[in-house]
Amino acid sequence: MKLEIDESRCKGCNLCTMVCPYKIYRPGSRPNRRGIYVPDLDQPERCPNCRLQGLYGRRLCGVCALICPDQAIRWVPEKPFEPMKVVIEY
Amino acid sequence: MQGNIASAEGALAAGCTFFGGYPITPSTEVAEHMATRMPKIKGACFIQMEDEIASIAAVIGAAWTGARSMTATSGPGFSLMMENIGYAVMTETPCVIVNIQRGGPSTGQPTMAAQGDIMQVKFGSHGDYSIIALAPSSVQECFDLTAKAFNLADRFRTPVFLMADEVIGHMREKIEIPDSVEIVRPKPLPEGALPFAPGPDGVSGFAAFGTGRHIPVTGLTHDERGYPDTTNPARHESLVRRLVSKIEDARHDIADYSIVNEEAEYVFVCYGAPVRTVREVVERLRLPDTGYLQLRTVWPFPEGLLSRFPKVKAFIVPEMNLGMMAREIERHVSVPVIPVSKIGGDLHTPEELVEAVKAAGGLL
Amino acid sequence: MRDDWLREDRLPHIYCAGCGNGTIMNCVLEAVEKTGWDQKKTIFISGIGCSSRAPGYILTDSLHTTHGRAIAFATGVKMANPSLHVVVFTGDGDLAAIGGNHFIHACRRNIDITVVCMNNHIYGMTGGQGSPTTPIGKTSTTTPYGADEAPFDLAELAMAAGANYVARWTSFHVKQLTDSVLTGLNTPGFSLIEVRCQCPTSYGRRNKYREPVDYMTYLKSHAVLKEKWERSAAPGTELPVDSFLVGEFVRRQRPVMGVPDEA
Repeated sequence: MKLEIDESRCKGCNLCTMVCPYKIYRPGSRPNRRGIYVPDLDQPERCPNCRLQGLYGRRLCGVCALICPDQAIRWVPEKPFEPMKVVIEY
Repeated sequence: MQGNIASAEGALAAGCTFFGGYPITPSTEVAEHMATRMPKIKGACFIQMEDEIASIAAVIGAAWTGARSMTATSGPGFSLMMENIGYAVMTETPCVIVNIQRGGPSTGQPTMAAQGDIMQVKFGSHGDYSIIALAPSSVQECFDLTAKAFNLADRFRTPVFLMADEVIGHMREKIEIPDSVEIVRPKPLPEGALPFAPGPDGVSGFAAFGTGRHIPVTGLTHDERGYPDTTNPARHESLVRRLVSKIEDARHDIADYSIVNEEAEYVFVCYGAPVRTVREVVERLRLPDTGYLQLRTVWPFPEGLLSRFPKVKAFIVPEMNLGMMAREIERHVSVPVIPVSKIGGDLHTPEELVEAVKAAGGLL
Repeated sequence: MRDDWLREDRLPHIYCAGCGNGTIMNCVLEAVEKTGWDQKKTIFISGIGCSSRAPGYILTDSLHTTHGRAIAFATGVKMANPSLHVVVFTGDGDLAAIGGNHFIHACRRNIDITVVCMNNHIYGMTGGQGSPTTPIGKTSTTTPYGADEAPFDLAELAMAAGANYVARWTSFHVKQLTDSVLTGLNTPGFSLIEVRCQCPTSYGRRNKYREPVDYMTYLKSHAVLKEKWERSAAPGTELPVDSFLVGEFVRRQRPVMGVPDEA
């Protein structure tokens, strides 16, 4: 599991940077081709859903994807799901 | 049977399963009769809405579920419905609206007859559009034309209007109710076709809600998928031209009329209640050199019928308004068109029509 | 997946950057997804305004109707075919101003539809005019010296008119909102979920909430949980200025219309 910001949909409102309890997003610093400051996903490894979803077997948090008014944030599967290989960081 | 009730029975015979209405004189009996009959029919729904705007809205909503749906009203309620009638035209929603006309403007004469909405039905909503309007002149025609209205609505995917008036609506006559009426359902939407892609006749197939076609219906200018496209002039032009031409091109096909004495020199053109006086004059008094054209389809106006009278010297148009259709007829002919206007609620008397023929130069 | 319910070919949508309507659409789709409803049998209906563009981005049958009449159209759809699930998106102007009559009558009939009101306190589509929910003192293009009419409380209105389920959340409370919409969808009868949301372009710009985050911060700090307030505040105490209650206002079983017959 990893998070992805769809640049073609993002309008740079920065709501994700506000709501994420783990502060994994940072306001963008450079405009993209459409002149939009897309937030940077600078600490994706902190996302609890990406790390722990397999362990809990349900979706955790997900506030960024829900609050994104432009449906630009989503999870994409990274590799086939193998429950035993999930690494838990404390 | 009363005209209003015949109209309700005609609708039920045609398989009408949804009625949304609001009480208004002189159309109330339609709603009352539906309220009595519909709860006993499986799958049918009668609902009294909070106003006429909501009535027509509910009717359009119900039509999209595939139900044959209808409402009935009179002048003031008809004025309220105008915005959503435009919506029904734009979204190509088949539905039937019965208008039992009364004296206007405004509250006017609730219990008296008039034909003052005959222009409003065609031009009342904003923008260019075409609709189908039928005008009964007897209780039997109330039944027949209401049933027919549903077929036209489904075939052309458009709102269809039954423009009766207080006299016809409240008149009691004997009628013959057939065992079954002809039912024409809309063309289905072919598998894989876009929901607003027109067929060869300009009409697109219809798929009801809940059948998995995911149709986005919008009153905005839209493309064939139904997606809004409001800033493209060519798109708007082709859409509106199609909405108009799908009806106007078929006007002689839609036309429902009677012609008496094609050799006449003085021809009455009439619709609705005045037809009854005209019949009296032409058929019973046998006034020489006169004939008539009764229009049961008022809109789209079948102007080709006017050329069926080769010897005509003048068209005489008795109407219960200040000459609305007379003006439409004038556009299409070169002989004089003489309006015989009468408002206030009384029908024309035969004497008045005889006078009109004399004034036109006949009976000398 | 939520994305299965979106018309991907229509995205990105027309909403301004930071508009709360997109958030609310996400939450509603998330809730609809959880109900397990058949996409074929779910109908989204809307009137006119920013909020009302939402159904156009959702891959179901939808009706984008005339201003204020969405609930009347929904009544027709639901009564003619009670097996369909009907959700109405509406805005504050659409619901409380031009559609106020249809709104209270649908509550009175308790017809089985769910109405999600995206209340941004302004007419956004037409450029920021005052609406019946613009708070006193707030500026808009038609209240340039501050609104002086008392605003409507939509949740209280729906409750008084007889709706079976009424809740209010904000576009900040996405999780609670999703749960609330889900409860509304599953409650037979009329459900109203009022969602206070930000309009940075038209409302925020004129009322010192220029960035979307500014208004979110306001929503977060001024929303008072109804249960908590009732528990802690002495009876009769007024809410602090500018604060508003959020939470579930009513859940009841009045007689309903438009539910399929038990066959």
